[in-house]
Amino acid sequence: MHRKRAEIATDQVAFEAFYRRHVDAITLFLARRVEDPHTVADLVAEVFLAVLDSARTYQPGLGPELAWLYGVARNTLSSERRRAFKESRLTNRVGGRRVLDTDDLARLEERIDAERSAREVFKAMADLSERERAVLELVVVDQLTVTEAAIALGIRPGTAKVRLHRARRKLQALPLVMEGAPG
Amino acid sequence: MRFEEQILMELKAEMTARAERRHRTRRRLFTGAAVAGLAAVTAIAVPLLTGSEQPAYAVAENADGTINVQLNEFRDADKLERDLERLKVPADITYLKPGKSCEGNRGKIVGGASPEEWEGSASDKAVRLRPGKGFTIDPRHVGTGQTLVMAFTERTGGAAEAAKPAVQWQLAAYVVEGQVKPCVVVDDPLWDDADRPGRPSPASS
Repeated sequence: MHRKRAEIATDQVAFEAFYRRHVDAITLFLARRVEDPHTVADLVAEVFLAVLDSARTYQPGLGPELAWLYGVARNTLSSERRRAFKESRLTNRVGGRRVLDTDDLARLEERIDAERSAREVFKAMADLSERERAVLELVVVDQLTVTEAAIALGIRPGTAKVRLHRARRKLQALPLVMEGAPG
Repeated sequence: MRFEEQILMELKAEMTARAERRHRTRRRLFTGAAVAGLAAVTAIAVPLLTGSEQPAYAVAENADGTINVQLNEFRDADKLERDLERLKVPADITYLKPGKSCEGNRGKIVGGASPEEWEGSASDKAVRLRPGKGFTIDPRHVGTGQTLVMAFTERTGGAAEAAKPAVQWQLAAYVVEGQVKPCVVVDDPLWDDADRPGRPSPASS
C-alpha cells in the first residue's frame, strides 16, 4: 500500500501523468494569490517539488487528489513566503528568477489578469482569522466543496463547515465575496 | 519550451537524482534479473587497511555464536574459508577488483526469488556489516547443505576520502542451497563510480 501511495514520487510516468493533470489548476491557484509571473512559475515548480517530498502522505481513498494537492500548494506558498524562496532546489534559475520566454510571460500574465477579482477577494478577507480565511479561500476562490477543503486543510468536514459559516457571516457586507460561491 | 515543460523536465531530473541518492545510501541492489530469479547484493563500503603488517584478516567468535570478521587485505581467501568451515560455516569467498562482479546467480539463492522474499530471509540475515569494523556472520542462517557466498569488491577511495583508509570494499553476500557455481568474473553492470574520480581500468582478479 505504501508503495502505491508514493508511486507519484518514484515512478516518472505516474508523476508526469499527475503533473499534466494538475499543472493548469495549480498555476491558476497561484495566479489567484501572486501577481508576478516569474514568482508564479517558480511556485509551480516548488509545489510539485513538495509533491515529491510529501507523496507519502497522499492517500488515494481519502478524496480527490486536487484537494490534497491544494493543501500541498497552500503549505508551499506559506513556507515560501516565509523564506521568500531565495534558494530554489531546482536548477533553471538565473539571478534568482526563473527564465521565462515572452510566450510564457504573456500566458502567465493573462492568467494572473483573469484572476484579478479573486485577488480582490483576498484583500477583503484580510480581516478574517487565518483558520476561517483558509476555508473560505478554498471554497469561494478555488471552488472546492467543503469536504474537499477539509481534506486540503487536514481538518474534519464539520469543522470546515463551521468556520466557513462564521467567515461568511463576517463578510456579509461584501457582495464581491459571495459572488461565484457555490451553493 | 513552455515553462510547464521546462519545470517537468527539472522535476524528472530531481527524481532521478533522488533515486540515485537512495541507491547510494541503502545499497541493497537487486541484480541478475536476466538470469532466473534475482540475486540480491548487500553492498556497503567498509574500510580496508592496506600496507600494514597485520594478518590478512581476523576472525573472532562471539558469545552468542555469531562470528566477527575483519578484513585487512584481499588475500588468503582459501584460508579464511577453512577458518569459517571450522566454525561450522561453509563459505565461498571471492575477492574482486573494482568494477567487477561474479556473473549471474551462482546457485539456488535462499530468498532470491523476489525483493519481498529477500526481506528477512536467511540470505538477508546471514551477514551484517559493521561499518568501519568488518562484518558479522550469523551461522544460524546457514543451514545444512547450504553455503554462504560472499564476493568482496574493492572500492578505491576518492580524493575527499583521503583521510580515511585508501581502500574500501563492498560485499555481495547470500546463502546458496546445494552446489555453488564458481565465480565467472564480469564487468559489474551496476558499478557506480560516478562520484569517484579516475574510474579504475578493468583488470580481472
